Order: sequence, then C-alpha cells, then structure tokens
Amino acid sequence: MSSLFSSLTAAARALDAQRFGLDVTGQNIANVNTPGYTRRVIDMAAVPPESNRTAGRGVDVVAVRSARDLLIERRLQQEVPAERREGALADVLGVVEVALGKPGESIDGALDRFFDAFSNLSQNPSSSVARQEVLLQADSLADTFRDMAERLALSQRDTDGQVASAGQDINELTTQIAKINETIARTGESAGGILHLQDEQSVLVRQLSEIVDIDVLQRADGGVDITIGNGRALVIGENGYQVQTSVVAGVNHIFSAGVDVTSELSAGKIGGLIYARDVLVPGYQTALDSLAYEVANNVNALHAAGVGGDGGTGRNLFTFTPAIVGSAGAASAIGVNAAVAADGNLVAAAGPGAPVGDNATARDIAALRHGKVIGGTATFNETWGQLVYRVGRDSQTAANEQHGREEIVTQVDALRDQVSGISLDEEAVNLVKYQKAYEANARFFRAIDSTLDTLLGMLR
Amino acid sequence: MRLTFNAQNRNSTAGLEGAATRLMEFQRQVSTGKRIEKPSDDPSATLGAIGEHTETAAIDQYARATDSVASRLAVIDTVLSDLIVQLERGQVAAASARGSTKTQAQRDAAATDLEGIRDTLFSDMNTAFNGTFVFSGSASTVQPYTRVGSGPISAYAGSTSEMVVDIDQHREIKIAFNGQLVTQGADAQDVFAEFDDLIAAVRAGDDAGIEAGMSALERMFDRVSTAQGRVGADQRTIDEQKVRLSEMRRASVKRLSALEDTNMAQAITGMAQADAAYKAALGAVSSVTRMSLMDYLR
Repeated sequence: MSSLFSSLTAAARALDAQRFGLDVTGQNIANVNTPGYTRRVIDMAAVPPESNRTAGRGVDVVAVRSARDLLIERRLQQEVPAERREGALADVLGVVEVALGKPGESIDGALDRFFDAFSNLSQNPSSSVARQEVLLQADSLADTFRDMAERLALSQRDTDGQVASAGQDINELTTQIAKINETIARTGESAGGILHLQDEQSVLVRQLSEIVDIDVLQRADGGVDITIGNGRALVIGENGYQVQTSVVAGVNHIFSAGVDVTSELSAGKIGGLIYARDVLVPGYQTALDSLAYEVANNVNALHAAGVGGDGGTGRNLFTFTPAIVGSAGAASAIGVNAAVAADGNLVAAAGPGAPVGDNATARDIAALRHGKVIGGTATFNETWGQLVYRVGRDSQTAANEQHGREEIVTQVDALRDQVSGISLDEEAVNLVKYQKAYEANARFFRAIDSTLDTLLGMLR
Repeated sequence: MRLTFNAQNRNSTAGLEGAATRLMEFQRQVSTGKRIEKPSDDPSATLGAIGEHTETAAIDQYARATDSVASRLAVIDTVLSDLIVQLERGQVAAASARGSTKTQAQRDAAATDLEGIRDTLFSDMNTAFNGTFVFSGSASTVQPYTRVGSGPISAYAGSTSEMVVDIDQHREIKIAFNGQLVTQGADAQDVFAEFDDLIAAVRAGDDAGIEAGMSALERMFDRVSTAQGRVGADQRTIDEQKVRLSEMRRASVKRLSALEDTNMAQAITGMAQADAAYKAALGAVSSVTRMSLMDYLR
C-alpha cells in the first residue's frame, strides 16, 4: 500500500515538474522580445529512493537558471563604450563638417570673391564702383569668418550641453542600478527571484556602458559594483555615488566625490563628446582663427602701406573687435575698418608713394590669392582646404571606427544571444517535450490510481 | 550553434538597413549628380575640389581682366594709329610750307593746319578709358596735358611710371602709358612745344625751323610706332592668353568634375545592384521570419 501511495506522490511530483517545465518554456516564449531577458533553464533531478526496494520517488526541479555567460557580458561592457565613443565623435563631426559648407561656397569662395574685387580695382583704380565692391567683398569675407566661428562655437556649446546631459543620465542609471542591488540583497539568491532583477540590471549596465567606460565587479549576492575613470566609485552595493557637473573654464566638467574626473572619461558617449569638445573642435577653431588672422594681417600690411583715393595712407582694411591677443578669437572678431567702410575712397589701390590712380597695392592684394603666405608653404585657400580635409578625415575616421566597433559589438551580441537568447524552435521542442512528459506521467498516475482501485476493490 | 529569435531579427534588420543605405546613397548620387556630399565622403577629393574651385575662380578673374585689358588696348591702339595719321598730316603740312616760292597766305594756311593737328594730338594724348587716362602712367586720374582756352599746352602732369594689370599669375600687360615717353622721349621739349616752334617757323617762312620741326615730328612718329608695336604685341599676347585661359578652365572644370561629380554609369549600375540587393534582403527576411517549428505543431 505504502509503495503505491509513494508512486502516486512520485507521479504527482513528476506532473508538477513537467508543468513547471511548461511554465518556464511559456515564460521564455513570452519574453522572446524582452530586452535583456536571458533564457531560463530548469534543472531537474531524480528524487532518490528511500530504500533499496523502491525505484525512486520521481523527479524534482532543483533550480531555475539564467543562461548567462559573464565573460561575454564583460566583453560587451568593454566593446560598447569604444563603439559609442566613436559614434558620438561621428555625430558631432557630422554636424561640424556640414557647417563648413561646400567647396567654393564657403570661406574659399569668399576669399576668391575678395581677391576678384581687388583685381577689378587694379583694372579700374579710379572706379568708385570697384572700391565699393572691394568693401562689400571684404565685409562678406569678414561675415563668413564670423559665421564659421559662430557655427564652430555652437557645435562646441551643443556638445557641452550633451556632456551635461550625459552626466544626468549617468546619475539616473546609477540610482536605478543601486536600487536593484538593494532589492537583490534583500531578496537573496536562495529565493530564486533575482533572475529578472539581474536581467533588468544588465540592461541598465549596458545603457550605462554606452555613456561611460565602466568597470563592473560581480557581487557575491548577485548584484554589481561599478566604477568609472581611475576607480571612482559609481555603485557600491546599494549605494549610488552621483557625479556632479560643474562649469570649469566655460565648459561642463564631471566631478566624482569632488574630484574632476573629466580627463579620465575617455570612452563611451561622454568620452567622445569630451574629446570632440575639448580637443577636436578647439583645434578647428584655432586653425580658423589663425587663417582669419593671417588674411587680415597680410592684407592690412599691404593696404596700410598703399595710398587711398584721397592720397592718405597707413589705414588697415580689417580690424579686430574686440581686440585680440595673438590669433585667438580672430575669426569671430574680424571686421572691416569702420572708417574705410564709411568711405570707399579710403580703400588703398595705389602703391606706396605712388600717385592716386596707381593700382600697385590693388594688384599686390589680388596677388595674395596665389601667395604662399601661411608659413611660406600654403595659400589662404590651401590652408582652408587643409582645415576642411582635417575635419573630413576626422569625421570619416570616427565613422569608420564606429562601423568597425559596431561589427564587434554585433558579433559579441550574437555570441551572447547564442547563450542567452530565445530560440523559438528550441522552445517549441521543449513545449512538446514537457507536454509529452506530462501526458505520460498523467497516464502513470491513472495506472497507479487504477491499481489502487483494484486493490481497494478486493477489500470490499 | 543556437540560432535565436533576436539574433535572426537583428541580422535581418542590419541586412535591410545596410541594403537600404547603399540604395539611398546611389540614389542621392544619381539625383544630385554629385559624388561628394560632405568632406568625410572623400576628404582628399574635397581638398582637391577646393583647390580646383580656387583655380577656376582665378582663371575666370584673369579672363575678365584679359577682356578688360583687350578693350583698353584696342582704344590705345586706335589712339596711337590716329597719332601716326596726325603726325603724317603734320609732315605734309610742314613740307607744303617749305621753300621761298610759298606765299604768306599759303604759309598761314599750313600753320592753321598744323594748329589743328596739334590740337588733335592734345586731344589724343588726353584719351581716357573707363575714367582713367591711358597716357598718364600710374597717375591715371590726372589729365596728362591741359591748357586754358587756346593758351599753351601744359607740361606733362602724369606719372613717369607706367601701370600694369595681371592677366595671369606671372603675366602682366601695360594699361597706362607714360605719355611723356611718347610726346618727348629723349628730346629737349615735348611735341606740343615742337609744334608751337614749327607753326612759328611756318608763319615766318623759316625753312631751317621747319626742317627742325619736321625732324621732331619724325622722331615722335618713331616713338609712337614703337609704342604701337608694343601694343600690337600685347594684343597678340592677349589673344593667346584667352585661348590658354579657356583651355586651362576646361581642364580645371574637367578635374573638378572628376573629383566632385557622379560617374553616372557607375552610379546607375550601383543603384540597380543595390535595388536588387534590397529586394533580395526583403525577400530573405520575409521567408526566414515566416518559418518556425511553431507552424508545424498542431
């Protein structure tokens, strides 16, 4: 009797186990599109017999596991920041390169028109129309420089705004990850209820790694500790350490526990933004300033030595307002000398000491178009071309790097999917497997039940 | 290897995006006719395009300068031709007054002729083009010779330095001549003073004075002829320059086109290939996502 009842118990336990298998399969299928969800696998084990005279007590579910490969996850956390850094660089530079304009329609075109105007003046040095054209084109050139400087400054400001925004994102994610750590610690691994928390946390960690390069340390309780930069704590257990954003030298810097860690954040979206804001764009601005400064100085040197239509001399065509030190800020400060702008007759066309009506200065300024005046090796337009080339090359490199890194991330994601992803075919097989097992166990249960009925019928 | 639902979707999406991106890029190239949209499409070609745009702009400017100089030289050539005609007329008038057989009335008529010729020379030497005097040298706004009423003609007021215009990077053409070089040259006085002396000699029947005056006119004739020869040479240079600039522009535009413009044959072929690849990717995604073991379980 007792063994038949044991068999009934074993059959019930087996039915329960197979139903659980169906549950897990259903859960896997239900979460096929859930981001971060890792495939659940159940571990079943035969329940050992109580004595040598019994076959065993059926089967039991001993564990439900997440199919997770920590090495692959770690690799993802390393690759994603590098990919996002290049992505952020490509985004910023994509805007900058569009701002530079098309060949012949930007500063190069303005320079050409400016030199054309002086060439026209050299053909008609007494023409007031030609003088007005010179002033118009000089003003247009200065405008183009100022516009370009403003566009670069705007790119830098936008990028800076994104750095501040990324700092806020880091804090939000930090808070959420710390909260999950707290819940995991409270729930405890034994409860078996932390798998979904770990899935949720892995999504947040992935999002965090897109923003900033992080080091993740797995905690014994199933949570994670996270540091950034040179080991600056971001999440330790249930404690989230917020980063602070503060303006230093006109741009947002990131502080951790009062220490400026901006220079330590080299990867992730924020690393790319900081590099573009602090290195690339300022480099372009310096090159643009240098070009504006050289244009103004070279033209001024000739113009001031030349003789205007009024016989006067010693006047600059371009001025810088506000005044600048060195070439810094030249592109945004360049303008046409107000006195000359107010009276076209003050434009110098005649050469030094030459009578009014001469065209030597106008010719000399027009000839600057071909002059290797920048460091003795490049013309103004070649220098502009070099700046455009530099931006284009940086943007292309960032885009190519991002593409390459994206491939790696995709491959690692595929590896992760191989371990953790849901295969509907596999789940369909599991569905059939557990369904058939359930049916077989139900039949076994009925057989034992029938046997018991037979036995009890003998007693009647 | 486990093939998962997400991996399948991700690969499908990536494949579709890649094919659509390639198709869109070829469509852009075909519709805009430009291979390069932004510097990063081809930084080296962009650098080259900036150089070629500058080159084309410079060539266009030199072409405009060449046209302007050609017009000016045509005017100068006409003036110099007229000067030659007037000097020949002067020679004839002076010669007609020579000899003891000439009556005073004949000499007065010759002198009046010579006065008219002198006035024409005066007018010729003050020729202006587009507001600048062509025989004032670099003082192109200063009238080279002036006179008050019918009084004596002033000394040369222009500049002895001449004015040139660039018609290429290392090629310049003179556009304003030193009038003094034409009217006086190495002589002690300019042609107007010589005319005044000649007219006085004609009225007085001074054959020696007439001879001296005729010699002065001949020397000026030589100087004007030399100047006209130089102008003629410059005009030939300009004609050659126009052809050269036109060829240079054509070459520059061709280079620019090679750098910037779409190779239509390649782009259209590429677009057709990308279109086929996109449709194939759509078909593949459609057929792959249709299949699952779930469909076979009844």
